[in-house]
Amino acid sequence: MFATRRRTLSLLLIVSLGHVLLISVQVQSKTGAPMLEAVPFAAFAQLQRATGAFGGGISGAWNHYIALGGVARENEALHRRLTELETALQGEQAVANTARALEGALDLQQTLPVTTLAARVIAFDPSADFLTVTIDRGTADGVGVDMAILAAQGVVGKVLGHPLAHAAQVQLLIGRNAGAGATLERVDAEGVVKGGAGSPPLEMSYVSNAKDVKAGDRVLTSGHDGIFPPGFPIGVVEKAERGSGMFRSIRIRPAVDFSHLGVVLVVIDRPAKAAKPADTPAPPAGRGRGGL
Amino acid sequence: MKTTAVLLTLVVSVLLQLVAARYAFGAAWHLDLVLVGVVYAAIYWGPAAGILAGTLGGLTQDLLSSGIVGVGGLAKTLTGFAAGTFAAQFIVVRPQARVLVVMVATVAHRAVMVGLYALIDQRWPAVSWSAILGETLLNAVAALAAFQATELLPGAISRSRQARRSSIRRRQW
Repeated sequence: MFATRRRTLSLLLIVSLGHVLLISVQVQSKTGAPMLEAVPFAAFAQLQRATGAFGGGISGAWNHYIALGGVARENEALHRRLTELETALQGEQAVANTARALEGALDLQQTLPVTTLAARVIAFDPSADFLTVTIDRGTADGVGVDMAILAAQGVVGKVLGHPLAHAAQVQLLIGRNAGAGATLERVDAEGVVKGGAGSPPLEMSYVSNAKDVKAGDRVLTSGHDGIFPPGFPIGVVEKAERGSGMFRSIRIRPAVDFSHLGVVLVVIDRPAKAAKPADTPAPPAGRGRGGL
Repeated sequence: MKTTAVLLTLVVSVLLQLVAARYAFGAAWHLDLVLVGVVYAAIYWGPAAGILAGTLGGLTQDLLSSGIVGVGGLAKTLTGFAAGTFAAQFIVVRPQARVLVVMVATVAHRAVMVGLYALIDQRWPAVSWSAILGETLLNAVAALAAFQATELLPGAISRSRQARRSSIRRRQW
């Protein structure tokens, strides 16, 4: 009995020591060990693809064959919504035409168009601490590290680590250690949006207390990080308070609904770094894996 | 046999977690079926099984996420050991008691994770109490289902076999 307990304690000690060493190696190097990440990720990507297909199959069968009760009602609502959107689109097109004419007149620099590649989300992070997803596109499709990922509503995240030929891990903007250069549309103030802030999951740093930021202000990408192209929606300010130091405490509700990520867009061409205004404070370097 | 059973429990819980992650992702609720599997193994097969399940389950979860590999492994190893030691000291047989162990283990596991990341990042990470409460309750429900299935399934199968045998005998008469 005593010997068994001693053996168990020894096992616990050895295993815990192993874990601590493993953690120390990663924290010290910060660049990460490629083999440590790439080999298991390659092995598990196939498993994730299979479980993703299994989960998709179940929800597909449920949605297409069983849960059809509200489909007619939903169809009618969608038709109504489509008509509304078409009307709104016509309005937006008119505004865009006016803006283009103004740009031409003022000789403003045209915003660079971005080339994107559609990708399907095949797996989701099994732990709650780091929010990542796996997409079914990889290096064979032209996907590379730090490429921006967008959805119809706005910014989703960026490609992490070492993408495989047909799979890549995406760090979501709402996850720990994630961030993006951002600008407040109305007040024209710049800062850094970081994830992992609880509820709402995004917070914006380095915006001066002097700036009049209000709830409802739109937050867009600034393009200064060299990852996300400028002008894409990140979210809306939910709470803006005067900070204790120089900067405001701003919480942001993301534009993207991260619980319904199906198809995303990978920005294949990297945006040129936008010129940074001289008065914007420099954000600190990110810590750990996946920091900007 | 014990190692095979522990590994099988772990494989099932990891696969179920991968499927569940699809639906829990980005939502306000979250459940950790791997942790439930670790505590299940610890309760049924003792602290050594808890250590084994915790190490393998935690490392698998770490490798599948973008976190530091080893943090989840260490947290789950310690949780598995603690749950196994507790279950060995106080004979935990009733389903309610086992579910209580899972609930305490969930909170302890979360506390270890927060502590480890606070040590690594040199700052306290954001903690959502409602998320922890939700995870504890969902893990408890999953554990209750697992324990009840383990207790009731063999009996139900043997009863159904017996009923089939007696109906065949009646037909032969």
